[in-house]
Amino acid sequence: MAAAAFERRVLQSAAEHHYLRVRLELPDGGARPNAAQFKQLVVTALRELHGEVGAALPVDVLTYEEKTLSAILRVISSGLVKLWSALTLLGFYQNRRCAFRVLQTSPFLLALSGNSRELVLD
Amino acid sequence: MAGFADLNVPQGADKKSLQSLLEATAHLGYSVVALNHVIDFKEKKQEIIKPVSPSELFPSLPIVQGTSKRIKVLTRLTLVVSDPSHCNLLRSTSANIRLYDIIAVFPKTEKLFHIACTTLDVDLVCINVTEKLPFYFRRPPVNMAIDRGIYFELLYTPAIKDSTMRRYTISNAISLMQICKGKNIVISSAAERPLELRGPYDVANLGLLFGLSEGEAKAAVSTNCRATMLHGETRKSACGVVYTVKKPRKVEEEETAVPACKKAKTQA
Repeated sequence: MAAAAFERRVLQSAAEHHYLRVRLELPDGGARPNAAQFKQLVVTALRELHGEVGAALPVDVLTYEEKTLSAILRVISSGLVKLWSALTLLGFYQNRRCAFRVLQTSPFLLALSGNSRELVLD
Repeated sequence: MAGFADLNVPQGADKKSLQSLLEATAHLGYSVVALNHVIDFKEKKQEIIKPVSPSELFPSLPIVQGTSKRIKVLTRLTLVVSDPSHCNLLRSTSANIRLYDIIAVFPKTEKLFHIACTTLDVDLVCINVTEKLPFYFRRPPVNMAIDRGIYFELLYTPAIKDSTMRRYTISNAISLMQICKGKNIVISSAAERPLELRGPYDVANLGLLFGLSEGEAKAAVSTNCRATMLHGETRKSACGVVYTVKKPRKVEEEETAVPACKKAKTQA
């Protein structure tokens, strides 16, 4: 039998990407961003805190739901702290207060399919 | 594991906004908050009032998300001192001061910072994050404070509000980290609105930006806050605080633990 049919792969601790599930909180009655404006907001937040290097960080918006203002972001693992801190320190959207809530983060996209914190405890 | 805590929620006059703040903190997953009462000696004669009992303010406290417990509310007094004479108040055995769970000082000069770290009976020393530091941190007082179990408090809400303050927050935090090496740091909010609050994990991540390690950053919102609370409790007692928790035991286990022969003997 061809032994070479099997290949052993070891994932050296670090996954390539991290995924974040975030929700944008806005005061009632304000303008709600669409998907493009949402991405723009994320890049603005990165530029505000980390400058042009931060703005150049590869960040993707995988899904965005305008109704609930929640999104799943993908970022290179080395840029996770930068993206997360930029989202934390963002305080304004179009001169109105706003807040990013990071609900979950994981190196695996599948892990974002459920959230144990939303389960109702007896 | 110690739960997350936010040791600085300003106690404004408006009860309704305080209620919404408390609900927001509970929803974000904080299990302990401290209502902060600030006294600035620069403004005219200010009386130290008795702390408002949280149970009096709110008949039912919100339930912390992810648990089935209610949020714990403490009282905290912050003294802004700009003159050494202000410290006499802390040395005297003022009755009203003793009633607060946590006592913090905000020293304005290097001399007062030294006094606060080395001699004053306080739990927290606030670090100025809204302007350029008026003095450099020096190692002896900071080491002394760490030995005495006093913690340094950094606020993050000014960093959200304004980009200039953000710069000062980060630079002051980093210069403090160079001296204290990440030990005895507490990060809290001082948020006046629910939208200025951030979740505990967000704040821990912010700690990485201040130059803390991952473990130290998480401790800054959890175990260090608990240590501050306990330090505050020791002031009310003689020298220390010991907690004992009753461990629930199963009845069946107890019965099987006794060997069969022994059981027979006691029956006979």
